[in-house]
Amino acid sequence: MNPAELALYPFERPGTLAELCRTLSARAGRREKTVLLAGGTDWIVERRLAPAEDPNDLPLVLDVSRLPEMRGITVAKEVATIGAAATFLEIKSHAVLSRRVPVLTAMAREVGAVQIQARGTLGGNLAGASPAADGAAALMALDADVVLASIHGERRVPLTQFFTAYRTTRRAEDEVIVRVEFTLPRTGAHQVWRKVGTRAAQAISKVALAGVAEVERGRGVRSGFGMASVAPMTVSLPSVRALGLAPSLASVSDEELDAATRRDISPIDDLRSTAAYRAHVASALVKNFFRELRIAAGS
Amino acid sequence: MRMTFVVNGLSRTLDAPPLARLLDILRGPLGLTGTKEGCGEGECGSCTVLLDGVPVNACLVVAGQCDGRKILTVEGLASKDALSDLQEAFVKEGGAQCGICTPGVLMAAHALLAANPQPGEGEIRESIAGNICRCTGYQRIVESIRNAAKEQATREPG
Repeated sequence: MNPAELALYPFERPGTLAELCRTLSARAGRREKTVLLAGGTDWIVERRLAPAEDPNDLPLVLDVSRLPEMRGITVAKEVATIGAAATFLEIKSHAVLSRRVPVLTAMAREVGAVQIQARGTLGGNLAGASPAADGAAALMALDADVVLASIHGERRVPLTQFFTAYRTTRRAEDEVIVRVEFTLPRTGAHQVWRKVGTRAAQAISKVALAGVAEVERGRGVRSGFGMASVAPMTVSLPSVRALGLAPSLASVSDEELDAATRRDISPIDDLRSTAAYRAHVASALVKNFFRELRIAAGS
Repeated sequence: MRMTFVVNGLSRTLDAPPLARLLDILRGPLGLTGTKEGCGEGECGSCTVLLDGVPVNACLVVAGQCDGRKILTVEGLASKDALSDLQEAFVKEGGAQCGICTPGVLMAAHALLAANPQPGEGEIRESIAGNICRCTGYQRIVESIRNAAKEQATREPG
């Protein structure tokens, strides 16, 4: 469709989360389409590719970008809480996050250039469920929970279970993602963000890896991964995670890591890269992560 | 939807479709055609303006979300009788060639210098990473921004 047609869409700015939830519930009950709009960095771009919609049946666009319940970043009792409408720029600029969760800061810095960082949000990144979503990969490595709200209250879904298929999530029609929460990695945890693409900024990845690991006396005690652009959904690399919890990380071989990575991904050829290249890079990123982890842990 | 923005320091109230792109509102009813449309999908940065001081792509911002907010466009950089230091530096250094990316680059650089008056080369390059230029190879743009920072520092010591 021509972006000028956006002018036809109805738009409302609910003032509170409760009001938003009531509207969502009523519309879901009547099977009416609703779009939740935060920064628009995906949705507006996708409109250009989308077929023109029936002007008599346009979705209602609800602005969620300024709801107080969905904004803000807090860190308390070793738990980080990030509002679904907090922007990547706010995440990147957050002093405690940059000290304690550099994997998230690095992701926010590379998700796009500053113009995209200023508008894009974690809520949009998760709801869109793109297999290339940088934010989803980083939050998966942190074992974040997604908190959803509706008129029935809140419910919490581990991000590792949030995506169900290509661009599909467990969010119901009458729910909105309000925030994400995760336990901070301990000080000194090994954290890595590696985005492999054609350009440092403003490019979608060919492969991206987020990893968070903690080691005690050679034994892996925290092992979280998220990988983008290697499967229909962002994946949490369960076989690789298991190796990250080995009683002796020093004894984990490159062959085991390669086999685990192959099991955990299902890359394809597309306009950005090839399945073979993605498999090669995914393996290399995982092996590098473990090599650095062993060096950092002194084993 | 009736909306009010402060554009380049002036309060402007207008009736516009809430999902109209900020870019179209600026170039249409507000007559501010300095902001250019390049790709129209947030890749090239030609339409960069500052929304409450932060660079955004005006092609991806809907007007209804700007109600009550401050917008700075390239028309707001110069004073009545003089270009800004940044604009002067682009003229002197050859930071502008064909000109289509220039308004967006100026806005991204303006935001950088407002937040960080003495940026290093890496910071300058990162700040304009969302602005694609097909003429200059970026070197002259980077030098223009660096010279503007120097010029400002000599004028406003400390």
